[in-house]
Amino acid sequence: MLNERVVIEINRIKSKYHDAQSSLLPALYVVQREYGWLSPDAVAAVGDVLNVPRTTVKGVATFYSMFRHKPMGRHLIQLCTNVACMIMGAERLVDILKTRYGLEPNSTTDDGRFSLVVMECIGACATAPAMLVDTDFYDNLTEERIADILENYK
Amino acid sequence: MITVTINGKKIQLEKPVTILKAASMAGIKIPTLCHHEALESYGGCRLCLVEIEKMPRLQTSCTQYVADGMVVWTETERVVEARKAMLEFLLINHPLDCPYCDKAGECELQDLVVKYGPSTGRFAEGKRTHPESYDDPIIVRNMDRCILCARCVRMCDKVQCASDISITNRSSKSFVEPFSGGRYNCEYCGNCLTVCPVGAIMSRMHKHAYRPWLIEKEVDTVCSFCGVGCSVVLQVRGNSIVRAVPKTGKGLNKGLLCNRGRFGYDYVSSPVRLDSPLIRRDGKLQRATWSEAFIYIAGELKRIKETYGGSSIAGIASGRCTNEDNYVFQKFMRVVLGSNNIDSAAGFAYAPAQKFFERIFGQGVTANSIHGISNSDGILVIGGDPTSVNPVLGLQIRSAHQKNIPVVTIGYMPGLKRFATNRLIPSPFAETALLAALVSELKSKRRLSDEKAAFARDINTIIENIPPVSLNEAGDVCRISPSDINNTVDAISNMTNPSIIIGRDILQRSEGHTNLLLLAALIYLLNGRIYLLSELPNEQGLVDMGCLPDMLPGVRPLAVDSFRRRYDEFFGVEVASEPGMSIVEMIDGANSNKIKALYVMCEDIVFNIPNSRYVKEALSKSELLVVQDIFMTETAQLADVVLPSLSWAEKEGSYTNLERRMQMLKKAVDGKGMEDWQAIAEISRMLGFDMNYRSPKDVMAEIARVSPLHKDIAYDDIVGDGFMWPYKGEPLRHGMSIEGIDIPDAKSLLKISDNDKIYAGMENPLFYSENLSRNSSALSSISPEPYARIGKALATKLSIIDGDYVNISADAGSIELSARVDSDLPENIVLIPNNFGDKGIFNVMNWKINPVIKSFVLDCTEVVIKKIKSAAEEVLA
Ligand code: SF4
Ligand code: SF4
Ligand code: SF4
Ligand code: FES
Repeated sequence: MLNERVVIEINRIKSKYHDAQSSLLPALYVVQREYGWLSPDAVAAVGDVLNVPRTTVKGVATFYSMFRHKPMGRHLIQLCTNVACMIMGAERLVDILKTRYGLEPNSTTDDGRFSLVVMECIGACATAPAMLVDTDFYDNLTEERIADILENYK
Repeated sequence: MITVTINGKKIQLEKPVTILKAASMAGIKIPTLCHHEALESYGGCRLCLVEIEKMPRLQTSCTQYVADGMVVWTETERVVEARKAMLEFLLINHPLDCPYCDKAGECELQDLVVKYGPSTGRFAEGKRTHPESYDDPIIVRNMDRCILCARCVRMCDKVQCASDISITNRSSKSFVEPFSGGRYNCEYCGNCLTVCPVGAIMSRMHKHAYRPWLIEKEVDTVCSFCGVGCSVVLQVRGNSIVRAVPKTGKGLNKGLLCNRGRFGYDYVSSPVRLDSPLIRRDGKLQRATWSEAFIYIAGELKRIKETYGGSSIAGIASGRCTNEDNYVFQKFMRVVLGSNNIDSAAGFAYAPAQKFFERIFGQGVTANSIHGISNSDGILVIGGDPTSVNPVLGLQIRSAHQKNIPVVTIGYMPGLKRFATNRLIPSPFAETALLAALVSELKSKRRLSDEKAAFARDINTIIENIPPVSLNEAGDVCRISPSDINNTVDAISNMTNPSIIIGRDILQRSEGHTNLLLLAALIYLLNGRIYLLSELPNEQGLVDMGCLPDMLPGVRPLAVDSFRRRYDEFFGVEVASEPGMSIVEMIDGANSNKIKALYVMCEDIVFNIPNSRYVKEALSKSELLVVQDIFMTETAQLADVVLPSLSWAEKEGSYTNLERRMQMLKKAVDGKGMEDWQAIAEISRMLGFDMNYRSPKDVMAEIARVSPLHKDIAYDDIVGDGFMWPYKGEPLRHGMSIEGIDIPDAKSLLKISDNDKIYAGMENPLFYSENLSRNSSALSSISPEPYARIGKALATKLSIIDGDYVNISADAGSIELSARVDSDLPENIVLIPNNFGDKGIFNVMNWKINPVIKSFVLDCTEVVIKKIKSAAEEVLA
């Protein structure tokens, strides 16, 4: 299920910790980075490599919102729509993503380019509205700015 | 000394405990939800909040420890308000469908809301919803009701150690789920449903069939499935068992059960129970009255005894029957019929193993407390997976592992996979070489003390003479790397008083007797405590009652004149000094016409002995086959007379578990058969030998006089979780004799199995227990499909994947079943359980008799595996 590189990496992580359970989060990150999401098979495989019950891995993987349980597009947009961002026009940005890219919250564009997840606060209220694209952070978003930014992600 | 004041009451404590505990010791009840006595504190529900003077905030009493001078109040206005608020939070998502919920009446949430709760909630938004899950045959999940106390998850994780469920998602969206999201596919112990305080996880067996307040009586009894002997309470309404529940914290199982003990009771009310005696007339079994049946049996037995002599009659007793039944049975065979041909399924492995160890180390050497396992400083398991043979005992090993106690497993044991510090899986039947290597290595590492030498007579001599086997030699034979063996040697040589847990597989080899000897050497060198896995609830009782061809009640050897004379004097007869036939010899005896009559009490020999076809043929040659049973078993179908027995829930009597603990069965419901001892007493009377017992109590009174081991035991003394050996009687403390024990030669230690051949092996099934589980709709619904377990390497070679259909054939026959592929299984063995009538292993497996210990040898069946249909084709069909 997991490719050899990933297994080696997980074993390397495992060796750094006193007990296998501690290596769960970093191991799940490795898998997500490689495959874009955590399929049930991948979750089970992580359990098998770490010798942690697969159900325990599932519990951890579903607890943290940064883990994805569906296949995602090449780029993940995490757009905040919490109070500060909402007041500063985040909902308008959601509409734009819909009209321009056909991108609804919690979905992926047909060409597999973008996925959108709306977030509850990413800690950038002072410079709202804000979003993350993959691991890059952008704030003070406007309609034009969001379009320009996204052009950099093919 | 710590002094705390709770609600004005001063409490003195030796050592700090939680406030909750301190309060309960003082008789003050603090409400809880997430707390459970079988689990560690969690602090999740905040119902147990209390006010502590000088602490500004309320504290959870289940996690807060007392300190000297602490003043605690448990029911102040502030506390009560807080509890009310907590309950209001819990009710945000809880559906309050009490009228429809089976838990109502014994629901902890309901009780608390009645006591503290708000009458209405203020939360107007919708509730979290999940459809009720019927994915599992015997467990139903309703996650709407879950209050996220995590008791089930902690139970499954930390006590059952199966880790099959977890809390999925977070905050208000979380709920409890198995990995699949649907079916559990777990061990189905049901311990999670014991601890669920609400109706979120419940047994499906009695869904909507009862209300807790309609239960009319509760009967404390012992589980009828295996040799652990867990305490279980049968809840009864009218004449039916509503459910079987554990007693929290009580019994040797301390409130835990396995799937069989919890869900398997429904065989009692199976529609196919026998309800009338049957006599074969015109080739067909036809209904008859009890007296017709007794007259027939007595007449035939008399004729056969007079014509061929008593030794032409054989009797098979049962580990499912009580001590009283079995005692009366052996007396009937020996005293009334004049035959020592008495044995039972205990003769397959348990009794030979015990006899051997007692011969060397003295009586009672296997009578060790199950709780001792998790307190020993090391564990060695060989010959069977305890988590499936004796599940609640298996939990002790898992719990030991959690305490960092080293666990060494030898053999394929999926249930201990995550719990073994050293896991050795030798190639099929090659354990002998491995054991010999362990003995050789330990011999040089451990000096044998004189003191121990006195305890175990002459074993030193034996150990010195066992030919040395090197790690490399053993590694070659077992196909294990010598360094893995060496690591195991290191692990066990540090143990000072380990638990050595032995299953029957290790005996059922051509070298079974050698394995026993090597194990005895190991036990001696390691100063180990022996536990013999036992598949039947009263297997030990069979041995102790003298249902053996060579032992009298109290396990006194027949061959010793003084014991035999004592027995003779008691009954005024003369018992032959030659041992009778073992169960395996009886089958051959029937086949060669030496045995003319077989009396079988509650044992399905056709089903339980390999090569069913041969067994059937042998039985049909006998002139008389009498079967007492609760079901029309494969054996009963061949009988001349069938007598319906009572099941375990319908009668009284005692069982002796694998610790040699005697416990009582209590009658819960009425049945249509007759108690086994009683039917035998009736026949005995017709044969001119009166047995005037009115009840099992009278039988026990006689046992206490006849068996030196049971001296002075009174029936009424056996209460609660009973008592363990050595009772009040006279155990034979010292080893008897090692005379005649052959020292194995180097060749027999290093037999290499042929890598090109594939052998059939027996799977130790968790969900099955012979006839009982076959007739329990609950147990047979868990894993209803026959299967063969095949190692990954072999499967790849034959292009077999999980779910494919395979044909497995051998000289004795062939079967078709689906494959389960497992990477841990060695290449040249396929494991098949014996629980599927004509699709079980015994349709293909053959056996021999081990001439030394007279048990089965089951390592002799070569099979051919062919793939016949892929899983996908089967779906299409
Ligand atoms: S039945 Fe037993 S093994 Fe299965 S989830 Fe519940 S506690 Fe775990
Ligand atoms: S299912 Fe029951 S035991 Fe498990 S968390 Fe929910 S309420 Fe608690
Ligand atoms: S471990 Fe044995 S005695 Fe206990 S519940 Fe299970 S089958 Fe019954
Ligand atoms: S019982 Fe103490 S927090 Fe639940």
